[in-house]
Amino acid sequence: MQQGSAGEAAGIASATGGPPVLELTDISKSFPGVQALKGVRFDMRAGEVHALLGENGAGKSTLIKIVSGVHRPDQGSIRIDGQEATFASPLEAQRAGIATIYQELLLFPELTVAENIFMGHAPRRRLGAIDWPLMRAQARALLASLDIHDLDVNQVVGTLSVGNRQRVEIAKALSQNARILIMDEPTAALTERDVERLFAIVRLLRARGVGIVYISHRLEEIFLLADRVTVFRDGEYVATKRVPETDRDDLIQMMVGRRIDALFPKFEAPIGGPVLELREVVRKPTTHGVGFTLRAGEILGLAGLVGSGRSELAHVIFGITPADSGEIRLGGQPVSIRNPAQAKRLGIAYVPEDRGTQGLVRPMPLKENVSLAVLARVAKHAFIDRAAEAALAAASIRKFGIRASGIGQIVNKLSGGNQQKVVLSKWLASGPKVLILDEPTRGIDVGAKAEIHRLMSELAQQGMGILMISSELTEIMGMSDRILVMREGRIVAEFARAAATQEAIAAAMMSSTVPMALAS
Amino acid sequence: MSLANDTARTRAAELLRGLLFRHEGILLGILAAALIVLALQSDRFLTVDNLLNQGRLMAEIGLVALPMTFIIITGGIDLSVGSIMGLCVIVVGYSWKNLGLPLEAAILVTLATGTAAGFINGWFITHVKVPPLIMTLATLALYRGLAEGISQARSVRGYPEWFFVFGQGDLLGVPTQLWILLVAIVVAWIVLARTTFGRALYAIGHNEVAARFSGLPVDGYKLAIYTFSGFMAGLAGFIFVSRVSTTRSDMGTGLELDVIAAVVLGGTSIFGGVGTIAGTTIGFVLIQLLKNGLALTGVKGDATIVVIGTVLILSILITNFVQARRAGER
Amino acid sequence: MATATQTVRAESFRLAGLRRLFGSQEAVLLGVILLLFVVVGGINPRFLAERNLESILQGNAYVAVAAIGMSMVIVSGNIDISVGSLIGVLATVSGSLAVAGAPIIVSWLMPIGISVLVMLIIGFMVAYLRIPSIVVTLGMLSILKGGLISATGGKWISNLPPGYNLAQNELLGVPLPIYFMVGLTAGAAVWMRYSAAGRAIYAVGGNAEAARLSGISRERTLMMVFAIHGMFVGIAAILFATQLSVIQSTVPPNLELSIITASVVGGVSILGGTGTVIGSTLAAVLIAAIGSSLIFVGISPYWLRAVQGTLILLTVLADLLRRRRRTARR
Repeated sequence: MQQGSAGEAAGIASATGGPPVLELTDISKSFPGVQALKGVRFDMRAGEVHALLGENGAGKSTLIKIVSGVHRPDQGSIRIDGQEATFASPLEAQRAGIATIYQELLLFPELTVAENIFMGHAPRRRLGAIDWPLMRAQARALLASLDIHDLDVNQVVGTLSVGNRQRVEIAKALSQNARILIMDEPTAALTERDVERLFAIVRLLRARGVGIVYISHRLEEIFLLADRVTVFRDGEYVATKRVPETDRDDLIQMMVGRRIDALFPKFEAPIGGPVLELREVVRKPTTHGVGFTLRAGEILGLAGLVGSGRSELAHVIFGITPADSGEIRLGGQPVSIRNPAQAKRLGIAYVPEDRGTQGLVRPMPLKENVSLAVLARVAKHAFIDRAAEAALAAASIRKFGIRASGIGQIVNKLSGGNQQKVVLSKWLASGPKVLILDEPTRGIDVGAKAEIHRLMSELAQQGMGILMISSELTEIMGMSDRILVMREGRIVAEFARAAATQEAIAAAMMSSTVPMALAS
Repeated sequence: MSLANDTARTRAAELLRGLLFRHEGILLGILAAALIVLALQSDRFLTVDNLLNQGRLMAEIGLVALPMTFIIITGGIDLSVGSIMGLCVIVVGYSWKNLGLPLEAAILVTLATGTAAGFINGWFITHVKVPPLIMTLATLALYRGLAEGISQARSVRGYPEWFFVFGQGDLLGVPTQLWILLVAIVVAWIVLARTTFGRALYAIGHNEVAARFSGLPVDGYKLAIYTFSGFMAGLAGFIFVSRVSTTRSDMGTGLELDVIAAVVLGGTSIFGGVGTIAGTTIGFVLIQLLKNGLALTGVKGDATIVVIGTVLILSILITNFVQARRAGER
Repeated sequence: MATATQTVRAESFRLAGLRRLFGSQEAVLLGVILLLFVVVGGINPRFLAERNLESILQGNAYVAVAAIGMSMVIVSGNIDISVGSLIGVLATVSGSLAVAGAPIIVSWLMPIGISVLVMLIIGFMVAYLRIPSIVVTLGMLSILKGGLISATGGKWISNLPPGYNLAQNELLGVPLPIYFMVGLTAGAAVWMRYSAAGRAIYAVGGNAEAARLSGISRERTLMMVFAIHGMFVGIAAILFATQLSVIQSTVPPNLELSIITASVVGGVSILGGTGTVIGSTLAAVLIAAIGSSLIFVGISPYWLRAVQGTLILLTVLADLLRRRRRTARR
């Protein structure tokens, strides 16, 4: 309650006095093949936490890249304190007082905390040499001002935990006298304790008058921390609301634009026997004793925060990082999966999280990507049969409705949705019994999303067991027969489709006191 | 129906575009030009004798350039090929003269040594994850050191007549090693362009992570190509000894320069994912012609490496430029 | 209660600092050097004779000096395998100038200027044209090597004027090269550790993207690194050239390897971003000591190269293990 009122007070105060610290008007930005932002607006007041919400591909990342000077907008204006501003480079944005904390932390692992904080703007002595004692003292003071007392400024950053590294990043931003701090999914890789500390720091900064742009897909955090929330959808501005004046359903409605059930064509599929069983599977340091059963025809949703170990679990099942111990059974038979080639032979397919770097070979044409996992199938005695490969590619284009100029098109040119379809067709060509999908509709337009969901339902109907990892609660709830929740490498909750609510799932993802809700 | 027509049309367009504008096409043009220039420069050049002799001389580079093409396509590099060749040269002499093995066995031991040396490179690169640059730089020293240590700077001579057939003999008028090279070129070309192995190499070079995630046996394939590189270096070493009739521990020094220059000149990108055997072949033929031309105009042997070095740098600059432009227009 | 926790934390920080000091590569090297002296001195006490130790240091100081610049290049994430050939060329240039009657000081300083210029060219290609340094310096190596041979025609330079031999002088009984080695190492170490420009090298080598976002230009930093490297190579070349009364026409065999080995074994990680010049100097001393000790222990010096290769391999493996253990601990 206090945080709300402090934020409110600050918000009201600056609402009545002076222009917003940051104001973006009618911003549009497009890249080859995709219109990322269409005439959006956004504004920040001093001493406010303003959340930016939207599904993947809604344009959040592009917006913050524009604010932080990485991209120039195609049209629209940026105003700092009412003055028009253009940033030719991230450095200029920094000098204007805008600092960004990215998900992939940009630190130097071999250098110390103090050096990282002051890299590029260390206090100097007369001859240009760095004033080391002063730098260290200033680093300590900065950390103390953020109420961080357990970090040694001489420690090499590479040895720090993710939470500590993030705090170093925040101190770094402050060292540049940031008035606006942009945080992009800051809690994605954090432990619970680190999340609490992060919230404390955010509230501290807000009280000091720093404006914080908080990007997150976690509604719970927004209600805990933010003063206002702006929703983007498909690159367009939807609305800005004061947090006390909105609720979860309202936000989801704005994010998604339609009722939940209409989005997900889920058909009833006959559930058969177990196709994949895990028991006490361990892989240090990310997977600690995971066990579950996936049945034929079932879509098992796997929810959890980023860093909870879901992709890592998929990598264990798929043999990329084999299990240290535990049992995996396929169709009732215990198997040992030491590498992806083995997993493939056993009938497991994995559509990875990052299709650009993990799922596709972007400079190669469509037909070569489609055949990549089944080269043996389109070859006679190790010689590639071009005709067979072409036929497979053509069939895939037809079956999945891939919009491409031909089987020879370089997949780099395809849109996100079509790229994902290529990856899917590649793996379905291997005839799997178990299909693991890792964020299957991330960064994909709504139309393609629906097609992929329909495809999933059809595959389930045909008896495939599907494990779906997703960070979109609406997708999890719309598509899954059962939902598992993972946290810190363990399965902490299980919900049947009918019994699941977003609140329960979200609560399981974040706190440690949720009792195990068993399948009905 | 229309999709089938599409497929055929795309194939035809690809072929045409490939012939005219690809790197190999341009190289062929340069090759033709070079032949003409050199023929005009010296009337000794365009004789059958000279050309066949050049073929003899370039066999060693050619043999090693084939696996180097595979390696550079996967984004790796092998700097130790010269040292492996030097080591194998010594091994053949040592096992025969000092260990008393029959020469046939010594030859097999040599090939085995090369294969083992390449395997060690490949094993550390794939299983210990040492970057190829460092690993092969270390083995460049280590293998050369072994060669020097084993030979103690003594050279071995006195091989029997049949031994020289490979390096100095002919088969149907064509030098023996040229036949071996031709067979190797054909096999390498087929493997790279037509087999699943070759396709996998390109995938690894473009995006090793995606290749792994697609279930391709990335480590196994990489191990294979480094082992193959070692074997070919050994084969080249054996042919070299057969050609010059003696063994010394500094043989093969600088081979890696010639080979990498040939591969890069042939259009293989140092960043991986792009390259062909045809290009590499034209590459080492061009380099040999270059050396020949320079020699015929009186430039001494050592100065030719100046030219080769320049060619290497220039060809990378040009390839970079062309690829950057092509990436832009694609 | 807070103070108790703080005290415990302060103590554990200090312990961690101590552990870092003793576990550091520099400490390990110092230990190995002492061990070597003890062992070899035990086998053959003449190894420890002052004259021998002095000659080890004096004769190899130039390798350590060259390794200073090389270390900076490697920290920035690049490599230079042309340095041996460059030293050979510079030494010849220096000697030729002296013999041709130029003022001694010119024959000392001009080669340093040439060296900086050559390195700026290489640096430009690496920084702005984005060509991998391994390829640029591979090409440059052959250009220099071949150029040297053709220019000198294989002749050695003698009749050097009196006063030319800088490296043969002594100050307070200690040969001048040792002063250079120690002084330059100390200066460079301080500069790299404490100056903004020096830290920028570590930043660019560690994470070039992050460096850019901190306002550090990768291109300008790399140009600076190569230029400074050129300066050190130039100084090393002068120390090398002025050691003996003749200047040979060939480059010292595998000099670049010795220099790179010194840097790598000295703790400069080939993956970029870590390492110190103190480590590389210690490693240069160690390698020189090993070379000398081989003779005193009765092992043929022809095994030195093999030892170097093994040392590189061992150090790289240790570095990889260290990095992996660090990431696993997180």
